[in-house]
Formats: sequence, structure tokens, C-alpha cells
Amino acid sequence: MDEIKLAQDIVSKAANQGAEAEVYFRVGRETEIQVDQGKVENLSHAGNKGMGVRIILDGSEGYAYTSDFSPGSVEKSWQSAFELAKVGDQDPFRGLPEPGEIAAEDLEIFDGTIAQTQIAEKIAFALEVERAALGFDKRIVLTNRCTYFDHDITVYLVNSKGFSGSYKQTRIASYLNAIAREGEFTSMALGIGASTHMADLNAQEIGTEAGMNAIRMLGGKPVPSQEASVVFSPLVASQLITFLSLALKADEMQMGRSFLLGRMGEDVASDIVSLLDNGRLRRGLASAPFDAEGVPSRATKVIDEGMLQAVLHDSYTARKAGLQSTGNAIRRSHRQPPELFPTNFYLQPGEMTPEAILSGVERGLYVLNTMTTGGINPVSGDYSVAARGIWIENGEFMQPVNEVTLAAPMDQMLKHVSAVGNDLRFVPMFGVFGSPTIRIDGMTIAGK
Amino acid sequence: MIPTEIARKILDEGLKRGGDLSEVYIEDRETFNLDLDDGKIERAVRGNDRGGGVRVFYQDTTAYAYTDDLEEIALLEAARAASEASKSTAEGRILVDLTKRENPVDVGVKTPFSTLDEKSKVDLLHQMDEVARKQSSYVSSVNISMEEVHRAVWVYNSEGVWAEDDRNFLEFTIGVTAKKNGTLQRSYSGIGAQSGLELLESQSPLVLAEEVAKAAVRMLDARPAPAGEMTVVITNGWGGVLFHEACGHALEADFVAKGTSIYSGLVGEQVASPIVTAIDDGTIPKRRGSLRFDDEGTPSSRTVLIEKGILKDYIWDLKEARRAGRDSTGNGRRETFRHMPMPRMTNTYIDVGTHDPEEIIRSVKHGFFAKQLGGGQADFARGDFVFTVTEGYLIEDGRVTVPVRGATLMGNGPQALKQIDMIGTDFALDSGRGRCGKGQWARVSVGQPTVRVPKLMVGGTDREIGGQIGA
Repeated sequence: MDEIKLAQDIVSKAANQGAEAEVYFRVGRETEIQVDQGKVENLSHAGNKGMGVRIILDGSEGYAYTSDFSPGSVEKSWQSAFELAKVGDQDPFRGLPEPGEIAAEDLEIFDGTIAQTQIAEKIAFALEVERAALGFDKRIVLTNRCTYFDHDITVYLVNSKGFSGSYKQTRIASYLNAIAREGEFTSMALGIGASTHMADLNAQEIGTEAGMNAIRMLGGKPVPSQEASVVFSPLVASQLITFLSLALKADEMQMGRSFLLGRMGEDVASDIVSLLDNGRLRRGLASAPFDAEGVPSRATKVIDEGMLQAVLHDSYTARKAGLQSTGNAIRRSHRQPPELFPTNFYLQPGEMTPEAILSGVERGLYVLNTMTTGGINPVSGDYSVAARGIWIENGEFMQPVNEVTLAAPMDQMLKHVSAVGNDLRFVPMFGVFGSPTIRIDGMTIAGK
Repeated sequence: MIPTEIARKILDEGLKRGGDLSEVYIEDRETFNLDLDDGKIERAVRGNDRGGGVRVFYQDTTAYAYTDDLEEIALLEAARAASEASKSTAEGRILVDLTKRENPVDVGVKTPFSTLDEKSKVDLLHQMDEVARKQSSYVSSVNISMEEVHRAVWVYNSEGVWAEDDRNFLEFTIGVTAKKNGTLQRSYSGIGAQSGLELLESQSPLVLAEEVAKAAVRMLDARPAPAGEMTVVITNGWGGVLFHEACGHALEADFVAKGTSIYSGLVGEQVASPIVTAIDDGTIPKRRGSLRFDDEGTPSSRTVLIEKGILKDYIWDLKEARRAGRDSTGNGRRETFRHMPMPRMTNTYIDVGTHDPEEIIRSVKHGFFAKQLGGGQADFARGDFVFTVTEGYLIEDGRVTVPVRGATLMGNGPQALKQIDMIGTDFALDSGRGRCGKGQWARVSVGQPTVRVPKLMVGGTDREIGGQIGA
């Protein structure tokens, strides 16, 4: 079936009724494998498709989706979107963006070898991840959800402003939890790897990471409450970056929901902190030639050497602010209209190795895992998490630590970043966020 | 959705290469969502997703293939893919005759919400917005969402199961941000049930808007939360989310069977304080987590997990139950046809106790009252948990006094369960906002009476107060 033609058809029908229209098609395949104790536990294999129509009538928006591409269903979808646009609220800033020039550069986001790879090979990969974790130490007794995942999608986007484009994208990921036990102690740690290309993934590294961290955290106990330095691993720092990014979205700012409101042009972080949103990062998991509204992707320096320089925009917030969209409209699935979200959002790496950062700490906590559900608040700027890791004295690892909380206002944390490592890593969990190892001074550690 | 004859053909295809069990799952889902932000409808979405999946069990391997095409040929292709992937080598099995199952659980809808026109729904959200804003001039931002889901499922399996369920969910959520002298405070809650228009008779979205706005404003004057170990009293209703996260997941049979759960092998043992009884019950009429049948066609049931502190049973799906040679408890759930089922909670709660809730507060000299919990996270291998308290108060000399903000509760679920020393008479289920994530989302309810835990870690930023209480 010709998706572009079908999309153009709907767009012109809607345009004839005086509406702006945008049609999105997504067609793909995915494979997911879970292994346990050397055997395949679950294997799922499927084709996936979906389409979504966005209609804007005098600044009021309606959206409808379906997974059924039959003419009747497609027709019904755009008509429901049209009806919804009639009952919504008008907003003069709502509208589709004008088409822009898409650069021809290859972003390397498609790996054709994934579709060619036999299932058996993918199973073997997952099994190797598990073996690497179990083999790391005999105290690693189990793994949980040891998973291999890949998908292969084609996106088509057409709108009534004259935009028409498509691209292919692959993603491959593997992860697991390793569980360590010794006597009464249990600990669990994550190992994860993800890329657009199969060749970038290393089963040994993923399994070993999980195994090593589970062993390192085994037997953790609280330390006395105190103020001290912390060193965040890239995984932990990425979580902080994730929440920080939410305070740097123009929609949140325009609604007054950001602790960084009104700070544009100010020094909001230590001068070794630079934050970048880069929709054109080569092999970036969130890279694409254009965003969910057809705006060409780009790189945006959000914080430059500590100074707040820009926030992230889609075409709606940009029009409201009298600026250009930064190409930050994304789509979670065909079931939702585009929304403003970071692309590949990361803290730029520095020069120091993680080892050099750790050995410079006189007294502090190397944080390997944090748990939060709302304790990091981009609105109030509060940061409060439960943490696990290893205690450091005079640059040396001491005992494992568990059951402590870390707390500080985020604007203070940003100012107190005193080292940035060279080991940038991306964690694709709630988006694509990355960070190297970082050191932050003056954190409140609440323990015993 | 598909004739039973076609279901039989697909089941047959799934077993051709000799799997132990084949299953067909068909789903048709319609959704309608409205989001109102800053006084305007920001998003109005309607849609339909449907598809089917075929699962084949062979020894310890489960293979699954799904398709968003419900034509016979696509489903047969999925069955073939699942059957091949299961790597089974045994002889083909004989299909048992399909018999339609009945289950009387009342999750029916009186007046479908879809009978209300779109304009009226938009107006209702605007009214909620107005109510929230008029509570205080400090209210700076309001966002409101409404979700309506109709989900019809059909399940057939080669052992004769034929079950159909029809589920209707309606939900309103609201977040309010209040601002005063540079301090921002956000409060969030929701109501929902398996219900149609009649939801509005028992739970008012306007009252919800008022309560959430008032809570956000109240917390503006809150002091920083204390840090340290103290006696904690947890509110009834939504407070049960703590049990759900920190203990409930560890009672799910997949974690138990693997040995990753702290509760593995402990049936019959004392795992909680003798005053604790905990139950998972998918048969409560109209509740968010209730089901006539789970997504494997097993009738939903009431399972006593812990009785007077003794571990009685786990939460089972078909796969784990078959491995253990027992019956499923009707807890095999999946997010959509794109997902494989796994053991999930339905409506899970700590049962009613004997203490007057006011007496529980009076019993605390210095402590912390967690009135509204945010989300939570727990490590099921150890049961360690962390929860954000979006509305918390100090308890001083037996009275609830000043509001405190930025608090987190942390500790170990199984240990806290052993310590619980007072349980109130004020049992309640939550207002219907629960959404549980375990790689897949599922609607759930949680509940409990007021509960007292003599010692729990409160994480906050105010060390001075923490020092006093700790001492």
C-alpha cells in the first residue's frame, strides 16, 4: 500500500473543508526475547501499524487514530478529528509549521542488518548477556527480565502546508537486572545497552555491568546523616538530566511550571555544565531528519558553560514566544498527537576520567542507583531520592551504602557540579537522556 | 469478534507443531481523551486499536505473535509464527471443545459515557478548571485530563476456554500548581471506575477539583520536611499504594517462581504483623481493577494473600499456575494485544483493623502523618521502597500540626509490614486513579485503613527537625 498517497488524499479532503491537516503513518516490525536460566522464556514477534490525523480548524485541534487502514476506518478517523476540532477551544497560536529545508546528511539511524538477522542469533545475544551477568561472580544467583528487543519502523508524514517526508529507523536494546545474594543480603542492579545499530551493542558489557554493580552494592547499610560530596554514575546522572529537561521545555515555562522560570541569560549552573538537545546526533536513538510536525531537526545549546541560553520549542510554543521551533515535537505512538519533548538530550562530556573524579573525593558517596517517583520535581526544583552506592574516603572505595536519601534544591546542585567526566552515556528509558559521571558537592545525605 | 470456528482453526494451527497449549486473544479498544491546560482544551483525541495475538506454550517457553489485522489469514499466520517459535517437537494435540464461560462480576455500565456529547464533556472540564481557580488567587496553573476507554476482549484456548469481557473505564485527573512568593507547589489526584455517566453521581469531578486546589494552596505554607527515623501514620485509601508497591509485587507468582521475590517459599510463614490481613480481589463491583475474566479467560477471584500475618497465597496467571500445577487466581493481565499476559494485581488492600483512626494519631508523640502520597517505586528483590509524600504533616503530642513538604518515605516493605502496630477501622479503597507499571500498564485499585508504622525513615531537607525527632 502507498501510505504517502493515502495520507495526501486525506490531507486534501480536509483542506477542501477549510482545515489544516497532518497525517502520520507508522509501519514496523518488532521482536522481543526474554531469557531465563539459559532458556528462552518469552518470544514475541509482530508487525505493527498505525495512523493518526491531526486537524486544526481556526486554532482548535482534534486528533484521531486507528490501526485499521481500511478505507472506511481511515475516512472515519479524519472525520472524527474534524468533529473534535469543532468542539475544542480556539487558540491563535495553534497551527501547522511552514515546511523547512531538510538536510540530506545521513544520520545513521537505520541498520538494515537487523531485519536480516535470524531469530536464533538474537536469542544467542540475550543468552550471552545473561551468561555474562551470572558469570561475573558466583554470588550473582539470578537475572530478571533479561531482554533483547529490536524494532524497525518507517514513518510517513504529510501535511496541508506542503510537507511530505518519510524515514526509516531502527532501534536495538538489551537489558537485564542481576540479583546478587550473600547470607541475608540481596541486591539488584541494571545493565543496559541500546543503539540504532546492532554492531554497537556488546552483550558482555551489558551483563558485566549488571553483575558488577549488584556485587558492589551487596550488603549496603545507611551512613550517618551529613553533608557530603556525591559522584553520580552516568545512569544516575541521566535521571537528574531527565527531570532537568522537563524544566527546560517551553510549554512548562509558558505555564509557569519550571524552577528555571525567568532565568534566561543567567548563570544557572557551574561553568563546566553545558546541556545540549541534539536531534541530529549521529546514531542518536532520538535522531530523525525532521520532527513529529515536519520541522527539520537541529541541535540546541540549552545551557552553555553554565548560562541558560535556550529552551525547547515545538511550533506552538515557538509561535507563542515569537521564536523558531527547535524541532522538539515528538510522537510517542500513532495514538497521540505530537508533543513537546527533548530529543537526544545530554550533558556535554568533559576531560576527566571517572576514576580521576572518584579519586579526588575526600569523603562522599558514589551513587550507583536512585529511586524516585516525584521526589525530583522540575516545578519546585526539589530533588530528593533514595540512593545506593559506595562510600568514598580519601579517594578510596569503602563500604556499600543503602537506605539513605539525598536531597538538595536542583538549582544549588547545578551550581555545585565540580567535575564532569569524559564517559558520556545515553539511557533510553523515558526518552533519550545522557550524561557522563559527575561530581556534586554539598548534598544532604539523610541516613542513620 | 471472530466466529468460534475461526478461533478453533487458529488454535489448531498453534498446536500443529505440538505445543502444550495454544491461546487466541482478540481485542477491540476505543478511547476518547480530553486534556485541558491553562484553561484551554489542549488535546482532544479519539481512536480505535484492534488486533489479536496467538500464544503457544511449550514446556518452559512461551511464544507469542500478534497482528493488528483481524482477518483469518493474518491470525493463522500469527499462529504459525508462534508455533514455530515455540520450538516444540512433540506430537500435535487434540483441541477441547470451546465452552463459553460465565462470570457474574458486576462491572456493567448503566449509561455509557459516550452517550454524553463531546461539547458537554469539554464544558465539564472547563467547570473543573473554574472551580480549581476560584479556590485561591495563588492557583497559578491547572491541568485536567479525562479518559474514556471501552475495551472488549475475547479469549479462547485449546483447553476449551471461551471467555468474553467488556470493560468500560472512566477517569478524571487534575493537577494544580499554586504559587506564592516564588514557592511553587503542585498537587494531583483523580477519580475513576468501571463506569459510565453514573460515576458522576457517586464521585464529583468538581469536588475533586476543589480538594486538589485546596491541597496545593495549603502546602504553600508548609515547612521543609524533617529527615530521620520516626513513627509514621499513613492515610487510608490511597495510602495502600505503599503495600501494593513494596509487598504486592513481591507476591506476584512470576517473581516468586523465579526466586527473585523476598516471599519465595514462605507460604505458611509469619511474614507480617499478626494484625495484618491483605487481599487481592478482582470481583469488587465497578472498581478500577475488577474483571469478569482476566486476559487469559480465567474468572476473576478474591485471593487472601496474607491472613493475620501468615502468608497464604500468591498472585497467579496461567503460565505460572500451570508450571506449579495449580489453578490461576485470575490475575493474568496484559496492557493490549501487543503484550503477553503476566501476573498482575487487581484491587489490592490491607483489610480493616480495630483501632479508631483518631486514637492512632493520639498515640504518636512525635511523628509524621502522610496524608497524600505521590507515586512510588519499589525494588521487588528486597522490597525496598521510596514514596513521595505530596501532603504531609507533623504529629506533635498526639495532634496533627504543621504541613511539611518535600518529604519522602523510605524503607523496606516486608520489614514495615512486620512492624505495623495499629490498623484503623476506616477501611477505604482509593478514589480510582491507580495505574501500575510493570513493563506494561494496568489499571488497579489500592486500599487500606489508617495504618501506623512505629519506625520509618522520612527523607527531607530539614536536618534540624530531623535531629530532634531522631533523638
